[in-house]
Order: sequence, then structure tokens, then C-alpha cells
Amino acid sequence: MEIVLKLLNNYYYFVAMVLFVIGFHTMLTHSNLIKKIIGMNIMDTSIFLFFVAIGYVRGGRAPIIQEGAGYQYINPLPSALILTGIVVAVSVTAYALSLISKLYAHYGTVDADEIALIRAREER
Amino acid sequence: MAIHVPVLLIVILLGASYSVPLLDRYRKNLAFPLTIASLSAVFVFSLYLIFLVGRKGPFFYHLGGWPPPWGIELSVDFLAVYMLMVLSSIGLLVMIYGAKDLRHELKKEVLSWYYTLYLLLIGSMMGIALTNDLFNMFVFIEISAIASCGIISIKEDRRCLEASIKYLILSVLGSGCVLLAVAMIYMVTGNLNFVYIAAELPAALALYPFNILIALSLFIVGLGVKSALFPLHVWLPDAHSSAPSPSSAVLSGLVIKIYAFALIKLLFRVFPPQIYAAVPVLDIILFLSVLAVLVGSIFAMVQDDIKRMLAYSSIAQIGYVFMGIGLFGDRALSGGLLHIFNHAMMKSMLFMAAGLIIYATGIRRIKDLKGIGVRMPWTMGAFTVGALSMVGIPGTSGFISKWYLALGALDLGRPFYVAIILLSSLLNGIYYFPIVIDAFFGTKVEPRSEHRDVPALMLVPVLILAAGVVIFGFFPGPLLNLIEKAMTR
Amino acid sequence: METVIYNFLPIWAVMFPIFMSVIILITSRRSEKLRNGLSVATAVVTFLSIAAMYPVIMSGKVIVFTLFDILPGLGITVRVDILSFCLAAISSFIWMLVSVYSIDYMSHEHGGNRYFPIFIFTLGSTLGIFMAGDFFTLFIFFELMSLISYVLVIHEETREALRAGYKYLIMTIIGGLALFFAIILTFELAGTVSLSEGTLITVPSTLAFLAFIAFLIGFGMKAGMFPLHVWLPDAHPVAPSPASALLSGIMLKTGAYGLLRVIFHVFNVSVIKEARWDLLLGVIAVITILLGSAVAITQFDLKRRLAYSSIGQMGYIILGMALLNEKALVGDVFHIFSHAIMKSTLFLAAGAIIWKTGLRNINDLHGIGKKMPVTMGAFTLAALAMIGIPPLNGFLSKWTLSLGALDAGAPVYVVVLLVSSLLNGLYYLPIIIAAFFGGEEHGEGVKIKVSEASYKMIIPVAILGIGCLMFGLMPNNIAFELSLKAASFLFNHAMP
Repeated sequence: MEIVLKLLNNYYYFVAMVLFVIGFHTMLTHSNLIKKIIGMNIMDTSIFLFFVAIGYVRGGRAPIIQEGAGYQYINPLPSALILTGIVVAVSVTAYALSLISKLYAHYGTVDADEIALIRAREER
Repeated sequence: MAIHVPVLLIVILLGASYSVPLLDRYRKNLAFPLTIASLSAVFVFSLYLIFLVGRKGPFFYHLGGWPPPWGIELSVDFLAVYMLMVLSSIGLLVMIYGAKDLRHELKKEVLSWYYTLYLLLIGSMMGIALTNDLFNMFVFIEISAIASCGIISIKEDRRCLEASIKYLILSVLGSGCVLLAVAMIYMVTGNLNFVYIAAELPAALALYPFNILIALSLFIVGLGVKSALFPLHVWLPDAHSSAPSPSSAVLSGLVIKIYAFALIKLLFRVFPPQIYAAVPVLDIILFLSVLAVLVGSIFAMVQDDIKRMLAYSSIAQIGYVFMGIGLFGDRALSGGLLHIFNHAMMKSMLFMAAGLIIYATGIRRIKDLKGIGVRMPWTMGAFTVGALSMVGIPGTSGFISKWYLALGALDLGRPFYVAIILLSSLLNGIYYFPIVIDAFFGTKVEPRSEHRDVPALMLVPVLILAAGVVIFGFFPGPLLNLIEKAMTR
Repeated sequence: METVIYNFLPIWAVMFPIFMSVIILITSRRSEKLRNGLSVATAVVTFLSIAAMYPVIMSGKVIVFTLFDILPGLGITVRVDILSFCLAAISSFIWMLVSVYSIDYMSHEHGGNRYFPIFIFTLGSTLGIFMAGDFFTLFIFFELMSLISYVLVIHEETREALRAGYKYLIMTIIGGLALFFAIILTFELAGTVSLSEGTLITVPSTLAFLAFIAFLIGFGMKAGMFPLHVWLPDAHPVAPSPASALLSGIMLKTGAYGLLRVIFHVFNVSVIKEARWDLLLGVIAVITILLGSAVAITQFDLKRRLAYSSIGQMGYIILGMALLNEKALVGDVFHIFSHAIMKSTLFLAAGAIIWKTGLRNINDLHGIGKKMPVTMGAFTLAALAMIGIPPLNGFLSKWTLSLGALDAGAPVYVVVLLVSSLLNGLYYLPIIIAAFFGGEEHGEGVKIKVSEASYKMIIPVAILGIGCLMFGLMPNNIAFELSLKAASFLFNHAMP
């Protein structure tokens, strides 16, 4: 019972973990490269979620400090870091998609297994 | 000025990497000189840092003047300068080699982009070596991941594209694990600076053991994927064999090592030692490294493409580095660290030698290499030195790292691992020596018509590295000195 | 303790040939004559530099020199005591003769430009083994010599040679790795691998036993010891004859030398006796002797028969070590001398015959003695010495070995020696008889018109053949003196 309560209290960690596993699984098991990239994005987003959640303080406000107001602020550092993380994720996605489009031009498919098959046939 | 040298290393490389394509628009012939100039400057600065650290001791550099825990900190200690030296020296030599080879392998328009990617890669690796901040490390890891995929896919033939998407996906997977681990660590310690984390972790370990353990295993998996630790190596053979030769040299020589190096830094500087007594992380690493050493060699034996064989051999060799980590003793880790440099020399040389052969004759299949030694004595001579070093013949640098690893294993009373090292040396001999033998003996070759002359500029870096293998085989003193200081800190 | 002298001479004797091999490689493109001349000159100078150490060594002193350190406490060091001197002297002497012999021999063969530099380089590395000051240095030169001599083995570059060479190479690597294991274990147990430190491991333990076994594998591989001899009968015959002479005559001895050092420096006689490892050595030695001799009978290729005979003879040397007493050790060291001389005579003589006639099969050599009397004369002397006929050196070493066996209270070894002499007789005598008394009418004799080989080839063979006689006729010869001194030195060193 206690563990359920704990989970409920920290549901955002829980959700992040579930998303992470979904993303991870998608990346590893799907042979469609586009789906792999989607999985990658799910995974990255889950981590961002997780990271931002760490910095959240219940009832806290955006950290724009007003002297003497006595507000609680959330931790700004994770959010700042995640901005960088998002940039990185976007650029990786862009690069991956460009690679996939080139692959499509060469092989006529975006399925990793089919590409492997075609290559195996070529080498024989 | 002198105090800004650490950040200057990264700034020079990143700055140059973006100015190269700009310059290329207006002055076509200046792009390559700028690349070489920036790499040389970095090399000189790295040597200067070794000198500086040797005289004044390790120091920290605060980026933008912000002290930790707010700002990003660069830690300039013996460990870092050692790695800087490895990166800058090999990076420079490979680029010199690449001058001619790239023109042969790549389309003309993408040449300057290659320089950009290459400089980015070296710069980000230097960042990984220097940084003292977890998130900063993650950013540099991502930069180097994209850059290293870039220098594979830039060739734009089908094999390269496929290899690089495979590499990219697994690499991103690894980065994801690393980022999650960073989040976990930040969650329990509230810090990103290595020093602060290391101070907080022992107390945090009692409170949140699971978070820290998950973080530890995520780091190992994430960095393990990127450095091709055995069962996570599947991307490596394709990526390293299909890439242009300079890329292969730098990928096998440096890139997989820098992640192992990052892991060393984390395991020994950040995580508290008592964690290794509680959970068998090191034993798992050790087990995997043994598998890597043996399986890598066995796979290498059955390859018929020379670059593929070298790539599989890299998997085995990175196993040595991980064995040094897993044994967790002073001398074993020295052996592992030493092997980072030694293998960087050997493997980049071997890849460049293979590249020279491909450049001159177009031959990639090992079976077709018969008699190549007669036609290309210098190249195959260097290859022979590399092969000897791989087997660990005394008088080559490979012997020294094996000696230290074996001593480290004996220190811990585990002669079994010495036996593994020896067995893998034998396996190395079994697949390297036939190439050398067939190259020099047994066939009468008439010079072929399609044989191209090898430019001296390409040959020189290979020979320098071959000489380095022998010199550091006889005089490893300065290196050992540096590593010993890095270990004591 | 031993008196120590610091002197550069041993380093010079090692480095000079290695350096000259590069010069020879460079000059070989210009002129063949210069190349040959330089090779002979290098071998002579090296021999003279070794000989120059004679007075110092005979006065019981030890020459020591450290060139530089590779790792902390481990460096390139040389140390010449009486045992080192014995082996260095005989090797450089035979090398000198073989270098003269090689000139004409190689003029027929291809690849002389490769042969001579390698030949001289091997001299340097072999001397490096014999004069190493610690096991680390010894290991470096051991690997160097083993790998470089690969080129000598496969010189002919036939498929057969390449196959034999590959076998040799793999076995060499295995041996080298075993040595690596042994040396690193010793280093871990004792903290040093120097030869000047007295006994390194005084307590038999599991690790010590592992080290001993690994040493045995490493050096035994090179020495052609029983289960590890498989490369030898393939590799020695396919090499050019002068190289075979050195491979069989000298380079096998590096293994024996290493084992001697292991027995007397890493461990000592009492440790080995206590742990009963001498029994293991003895059993291996007996098998090696009988196997080598017995299989030699079944071989009809002349050089192959000689190679198997080498295995048997190396068995004697290992037997001498297994007995662990001073008398046996005298016989042992003297047999190293004897076998070096005998086997190089035999191989050089065989080489001269093959060079002249192109015949390798024993059945084809009827009547060859009449056509090449000097060569076959030397061959006969050496073969008789191998069997152990009295006034020859082989007899003297066997006699001393037998005395040692009786001293050790193991007459069974004497029986083994006698049986093997009988077997030696069985495979050497037919060759001699057929050569001198078999006419061309019997079987397919030597029909081609042949005469003696050139004088550059005969003289070394003759000198060595006479050496067999001289070292046997005069029991107080220099080799025997050296053996006596070496044995007593080792025993006093091992049991202070």
C-alpha cells in the first residue's frame, strides 16, 4: 500500500520511466527506421520530463526573483539544462532523418531488415 | 593568457571547425592549412599543459569566471592532460594522412565539411577529457556522437549510410542512458560538478542506494555502447570498416577510447569506492571484458576484409582497457590507461596502413594482399610493427600495457586473467601474422599496372606512429610517469 | 659473492651485429661482395670481442652492465658469467665459420640480400640471450631471435617451408607467451628477475610451480623438448643448410641455457629437489632422447634425420639438468659445446652435399664419400661423435653425463644413454657405410659427376670436424675446462 502511495506521489517519475522503457523498446525492436527515430524522441522526452520533474518544487513559482515576496521558486537549473538537451535531441533527429532519406534514395525502403537483406544479396 | 589554455584548446577547435566552411567559400586552398594549423596549435598547447601541470600541479579552470557549483569547471589534472596528449597527437597525425586520402575518397564539395566534422569531433573529445561537469560531459558526448557519425556518412555510399544510421541509433541510445544517469545523480546530490558529487555521494548512498546504482549501471551501459564493450559492439564493425580510412583511424583509435576514459573518470573520481564492494559491477565489467577480448579476436579471424578485421580487433583491444578498469587495481588501471594510448597508436596506424594499401591498389580482401609487402615495403613494415605490438612482442608498446595489465591481475591474485591476456595475444598472432607473412613471403609478384604511387605525406604519419610504437616500447618512462601521477592525484 | 666488473664489451658484442645488420642491408643493394665481406667481418669482430672477455671471465669475475631501464626495475642489462661466456663463445665461433660457409652457399640461392642481414641480426640477438643480465632482457632477445629466425626458416619460400614456418611461428608465440607468464609470475613473487640476486623463489608453492611449468614450456619449446618438439623436424630441414646448422647447433641451446638459468637462478637445486620437479624433467628427458633417436631411424631425408637426432641430443642436455649434481652438469655444459660442434658439422656437410648434388634422400647417397672425401670425412667424425665412439667429444660428454647419473644414484639413465647411443649408431652408420663403401652399382648411387664443394665451404666443415676430434682427444681442452668452471660456478652460486 505504501509503495503505491509513494508511486502516486511521484507519478511524474513513474510516467517518465514508463515512457523511457517504451522509447527504448521501440528503438531496439522496430525495424522501421522512422519508428526507431520516434522511439528515440520518446526516450529523450521522457528523460527531459524526468529531469524537469526533479527541479520542480510543489507550489513553487517560476524563478523570477522578487525581493521580499517570500515565494518558493522551482529549481531553474534542470530546466536550463533541458533546453540544451532539447537542442541536442532536435539536431540528432534532424541528422537521423536526413540519413534515412538518403538511405531511402539508395535502397527504396526505410526498413532496416530489408536494407540488411538487400545488402546481403548484393554481397553474394 | 597561460591560464586560459585549457579552454583555448576547445575554443580553437570549435572556432576553426566553423570557420573552415566559411573560408572554403572564398579561399578554396586555405581550408586544409587552417585545419592542420589549429590541430598543431592544439597539440602544442597540450604539450604545454603537460609541462604546466607537471610543474605547478593540477588546477581547475572556471569557464567564464563562474566558480562551481554554478559554473562549468574544467579539471586540468594529469589524467586529463594525458588524454589531451593522446587526442591531439593522434588527431594531428591522422589529419596529415587524410590530406591526400580524403581527396581520393570523398567528393570535392564535402571536403571542407569533413574538416568541420573532424575538428568538432576532436574538440568535443577534448571537452570530455577536460570537463569536470556531468551535464557538460553529456553535451560533449552528444557532439562527438553526431560528429563521428558524420565522418562516416559523409562518404555517402550505401554501406556508409547504413553503418552510420546503425551507429547513430545505438549511440543515441547510449546518450539517453547517460543523460538519465545524469538526472539520477542530480536528483540525489543536487550537483553536477564531479568534485561536489563525489563529496555528496557517500552520504547519498545510504539514503538512495537504488538511484545511485541505477545511475552507475546506466553509465556503464551508455558509455559501454559507445565504446563497444562486448555485447554492445554490434555497430562497430560496419561503422569502422566502411568509413573513409582517416575516419576509421580516428574512430577506432580515439573515439571508442574517450568513452572508456569518461567511464574511468566517473568510476574512479565520482562514485565512492564502497559501492564496488556492495555490488559486483566491476566483476561484470571484468567478465564482459574477457568475453570481448576473446570473442573480438575470434570474430576477427574469420573476416576477409582487412578493415573489418581491424575493426573486430578493436573490440578485443577495448576489452583490455575495460579489463584494466574491472581489475580495479593501481597497476591494472595503469595498464588500461596505457593501453588507451598504445592502442590509439597501433590501431590508427594499422587503419592508415590499410588505407594506404587501398589507396594504392584498391585491394581490401585479405586474400588478395599476397605479396603486397614487396610492392609497398614501408607500409607493410609499419603494419608489421603494429601486428607485433598487437601480439605484445617485447620492444613494442603493446608489450608494456600487457605487462602492466598482467601485473595488475597478479596483484589481485587472479592469474586467470593473465592467462586470458596471453590467450588473446596468441589469437592476435593467429590473425595478424598470416597477413604479414603473405605480404612478404611466398609469392612472386610483378608490379601491377594499376598500382598508384603513395604520396610521402600519407606515409609519414604512418611511419611516425610505427616509430612511436617502438620508442614507447623501449622507453615508456615518461608515459608511465604521467599515468602514475594521474593515479595518485 | 661474485666479483663484478662493469664493462661495455658485452653490450658491444650484442649491439654491433644488430647495428651492422642494418648496414649490410643497405650495402647489399650495391655490391654482393661488400655484403659478404661485411657479414664475415662482423662475425669475426664479434667473436673477437667475446674472446676478449676470456681472461676476466676465467678469473671468476662477472661482467655486468645496464644499458637503460624500460620499466622501473626492469631494463636492458647484460651480465656475463662463465656459463654465459661458454655459450656466447661457442655460438660466435660457429657463427663465424658459418658466415664463411654461407658466402658460396648463398650464391646459388635467391634472396641473399635478405639472408645476410637477418643472419647477422640473429647473431646479435642470440648473444643477447646468452649475455642477458635478467630474465626480462633475456625474454626480449629471445623473442627477437625467435621471430627473426622465422625468416631464416622460410628462406626457400616453398609451400613446405611456409607451412613449417607457420608452425614454427605459432609455437614460438606460444612459447613466448608461456615465458611472459613465467617471468611475470617470478617478478610478482620475487620482486625482481635479475640473475645477480641469487635464488629468486625459495619456497615451492602453486604459483611457483606454475612459473616452473611455464618456464619449462617456454624454453622447452625452443629446446625441442618432447611434447613441444613438433615444430623442429619440420622447420630445421627446410631452412638453408647454414641456417639449419645454426638453428640446430646454436639456437636450440638458447632453450637449454634458459632452463639452466631457471634451475639455478630462479629456483635452486634444493628447491627443485624438494619439490621433486627433477623427476618431471628426468621423465621428459628420457622420452625426448628415445623418441628423437627412434624416429630419426625412420627418416630418409638427410636433413630431417639430422633434425630428429637434434631432438634426441637435446634430451641429453635436459637429462643433465634433471640429475642436479655437479658432475652431470659438467657433462651437460660440455655436451652443449659438443652438440653445437657436431650438429653444425653434420648440417654443413649435408648442406655441401645437397648444394653439390641436389640429393637429399639417404638412399641416393651411395658412394658420395669417394667423391667428396673431406666433407664426408668431417661428417663421419661428427656422426661417430654423435654415437659416442671413444676418442671423440661426444664420448666425453656422454661419459661425464653417465658418471653424473651414477652419482645421482640413477643408473637407469645410463641405460637410457646406452640405448640411445645404439639407436644413434643405427641411423648414422648406414649413411657412413653407404657413402664410403657403397658403390654406384648398388641402388641408385650418385651418378652425377661431383667433386668437393668450394674451399669456402669445405674449410669450415673441416675445422668443425677436426674440432670434434680434438675436443675428444684431449680431455683437458678449453671447452672441458670451461664446463668444469661453469658447473662449479653454478653450484656455488646456487648453494652458497
